[in-house]
Amino acid sequence: MITKQLIEHIEGEASVYFDMDGKKVDFATVVFPHFRGMESFLEKKNALDALVITPRVCGICGHAHLMATVRALEDAYKNGGYEVIPTQKANTIREFTLVMEMIQNHFKWLYMVIMPELSKLIDKPFTQKPLKGAYASSLASKAIALFGGQWPHSSYMIVGGVTCDPTYMEILQATSFVEELVKFFEKECLGVSLENFLAFESCKDFQGVESDIATLEATLIDLDMQKKGFAHDRFLVLGTHNFSSIGKLKGTRTFHVDPKFVTTIQAYTPHEKTYAYNALYKDEYYETGSLARMISSNESIVKNMHRRYKDSAYSRVMARIFELALLLQHGRSILNTLDVTQDSVVKVEDIHNITAKGIGVVEAPRGPLVHEISLKNGLIESYKIITPTQFNIGSSTREKPTPVQKAMQGISKDEAEFIFRTFDVCSVCTTH
Amino acid sequence: MNDYSFNILEELAMSDKIEGVKKLFTSKSARVETNRGDAYYEQLFQKCQARIEELKTLQPVNNRLEISDVLETHGIERRDFLKWASAVTGMLMLPASFTPLVADAALMMNRAPVIWLELSDCAGNSEALLRSDGPKIDEIVLDIISLEFHETLQAAAGHQAEKQLEEAMETFKDKYLLFVEGAVPMGNNGTFGTIGASGETMYDHLVRVSKHAAAVVAVGSCATFGGVPAASPNPTGAVGVMDVIQGKPLINIPACPANPANMVGVIIHYILTGQVPELDSLLRPKFAFGYRIHDNCERRAHFDAGEFVEEWGDEGAKNNFCLYKVGCKGPMTFNNCSIVRYNEGVNWPVGVGRGCIGCSEPDFWDKYAYERPMADAHIKAPTGGVEKTVDEFGLGLLTAAGIGIGIHAAASIAAGKKEEAGE
Repeated sequence: MITKQLIEHIEGEASVYFDMDGKKVDFATVVFPHFRGMESFLEKKNALDALVITPRVCGICGHAHLMATVRALEDAYKNGGYEVIPTQKANTIREFTLVMEMIQNHFKWLYMVIMPELSKLIDKPFTQKPLKGAYASSLASKAIALFGGQWPHSSYMIVGGVTCDPTYMEILQATSFVEELVKFFEKECLGVSLENFLAFESCKDFQGVESDIATLEATLIDLDMQKKGFAHDRFLVLGTHNFSSIGKLKGTRTFHVDPKFVTTIQAYTPHEKTYAYNALYKDEYYETGSLARMISSNESIVKNMHRRYKDSAYSRVMARIFELALLLQHGRSILNTLDVTQDSVVKVEDIHNITAKGIGVVEAPRGPLVHEISLKNGLIESYKIITPTQFNIGSSTREKPTPVQKAMQGISKDEAEFIFRTFDVCSVCTTH
Repeated sequence: MNDYSFNILEELAMSDKIEGVKKLFTSKSARVETNRGDAYYEQLFQKCQARIEELKTLQPVNNRLEISDVLETHGIERRDFLKWASAVTGMLMLPASFTPLVADAALMMNRAPVIWLELSDCAGNSEALLRSDGPKIDEIVLDIISLEFHETLQAAAGHQAEKQLEEAMETFKDKYLLFVEGAVPMGNNGTFGTIGASGETMYDHLVRVSKHAAAVVAVGSCATFGGVPAASPNPTGAVGVMDVIQGKPLINIPACPANPANMVGVIIHYILTGQVPELDSLLRPKFAFGYRIHDNCERRAHFDAGEFVEEWGDEGAKNNFCLYKVGCKGPMTFNNCSIVRYNEGVNWPVGVGRGCIGCSEPDFWDKYAYERPMADAHIKAPTGGVEKTVDEFGLGLLTAAGIGIGIHAAASIAAGKKEEAGE
């Protein structure tokens, strides 16, 4: 029997059609019923307008879209014969704000999606303050605002660098927001210090600790989430940053990657019209996001977890929490390297002299975000956006399931709905 | 003095430009009445007081917590709360004597049911609300504003959520404030956006839920003017709420994202007076949209002195000069960003040298975008002709609201918002 389940409590809305075999999910397809047509209204516009428009694809990872646009434009400059090399200062500020956006995303997902959804499975509340993650998120977005002007939807990155020219005052303020975040994470979430957590050999070290994360970890084990939610055990990381290591992984073997092999096909949804496209790499489905990034950068705790529990729902959730800790540490350390005496932006050629194609790839909270642009005399001829949710939450056939479709098979419907959310779904990005 | 400032002074001397300036600063929608006289405020005070007393006799919606308890639990002192209330009083353009009433109104926020709908958008306004300033997020979302139904935030999902919506609509019939985030896609019979388990189109959904709302508040540029989804060629036929909902009090809070301070301001105003705040020709509350970014901009002195950023990263940029020449739309954008700023007052776009993109004006996505100086944006000024260069600029400014009057006057009359004759 096929039943439709509306999935809310995510960014936007999605529907899953479950084909049940008794009480177990036999197969499921995913529908994203919204469409805005972002790519079509970028066409024929001045290429620099994209810096204002693409952040508005998404209310939660708009900053990643901005960075993908700026990278795509800078790549087009390079391919058009005018290479742009931003200063280290500009690159560091871009990376800092991107990291902060990931942090706010992870906190929100943890406290407003994962914990409340898990509460439903165990039928008791998880934490007395389900929205306290929003406090942490607001600290991270304040840190972004210091350099980006506002969050969401900032457009402060431009071809050649950034518009802001921070003084030590802004750096001091940013440091204070980050320190407050670390304090909050240690006291309100982890129950141990950041340093201790990063030195954990396995999640067994949570034993004896009383905290939101320790309870979460124990609950995941109680619910056998380490034995459920397996996808293909194939991972993809495409965005180059100081906190990531690009590659394609099958199990533990790493392969070289090139974003040019990313393709999309119309999603398969026999029961309702969808506006989504699935994203593939060399015609195969890969899981993207925190778990992929952590395995790819050889983080030992996550590697251990993966060795034991593979790409289960447990690994997916705990990898994100570990990444949150790493990103906090990274954000803290790169602030110290900012050299305010460098230029914020380097001089670049007039956009009207650029006729070229460009590709911009960044790691967004949920995985690789790809923007492909084609320019003629500074005007956009075509623009293509491929978002991480298209990799993870595609909807394909039974013979060739996407990561989320595979992860939802063979478990109860309630569990499947939880596992759906462990990928962190962004429906507004998917259909843009 | 550089060439530009000299040219500007020269231009300013031209009499027609001076006429332009006069026109601008005396036109109705660019003027906010901040002092209506003692008699007016006396009467308003009594009216508000009576209303607050009446609200006090009501039970909080859905057994919501009492705000005073919540504030105490969160260690927010009465003094800080009153400081916040006095800031809100100022924002609403009320005399300081209203501060205790505003504080009382905030305490009554759990008596005002709010239903929040998300249509065709990016969820950015909900994200912005989540870092609303003043009382912290927990209070705002969970306790203070009685957010009866929010499709992204609420814990229930699917059919259960739909049931909750039905219940909320029935229980608070004709009393709830309906906040709408996102544009309404009308193309292809509305099939570019469906909602809920039944696959209802966003348009049908909006019509149904707004039917028994006390007032509809369109939040963000998508819900007000169609926003980015309505950018040319508008593939989904996206329009704003005011284009499809008529016969209801309607308030627009544009900007991308809308400033949470203004959302909270509208709710407080509603609780305080039981009415929608005074609106401009585009149905925007005047307390927030009654003046331009430019009027209170921290870089205004540089504009007046003719000191501009000529290109990104130049000496002007390093010295926080005016961003007009690199495309700032502050002079034609009505909003209070330059005062309330974003992210709990931490910063705003001009603060990072980026310039305003005019995101609270209609069609900003097509007309106003980024580095095109206003002069090249092909927007017809009310004084006639298209502005050419900054040197011709000389304050012969258009008001964006001016453009809107022609387009939206019909909608605003239909919505019963024609509160100021002659506008």
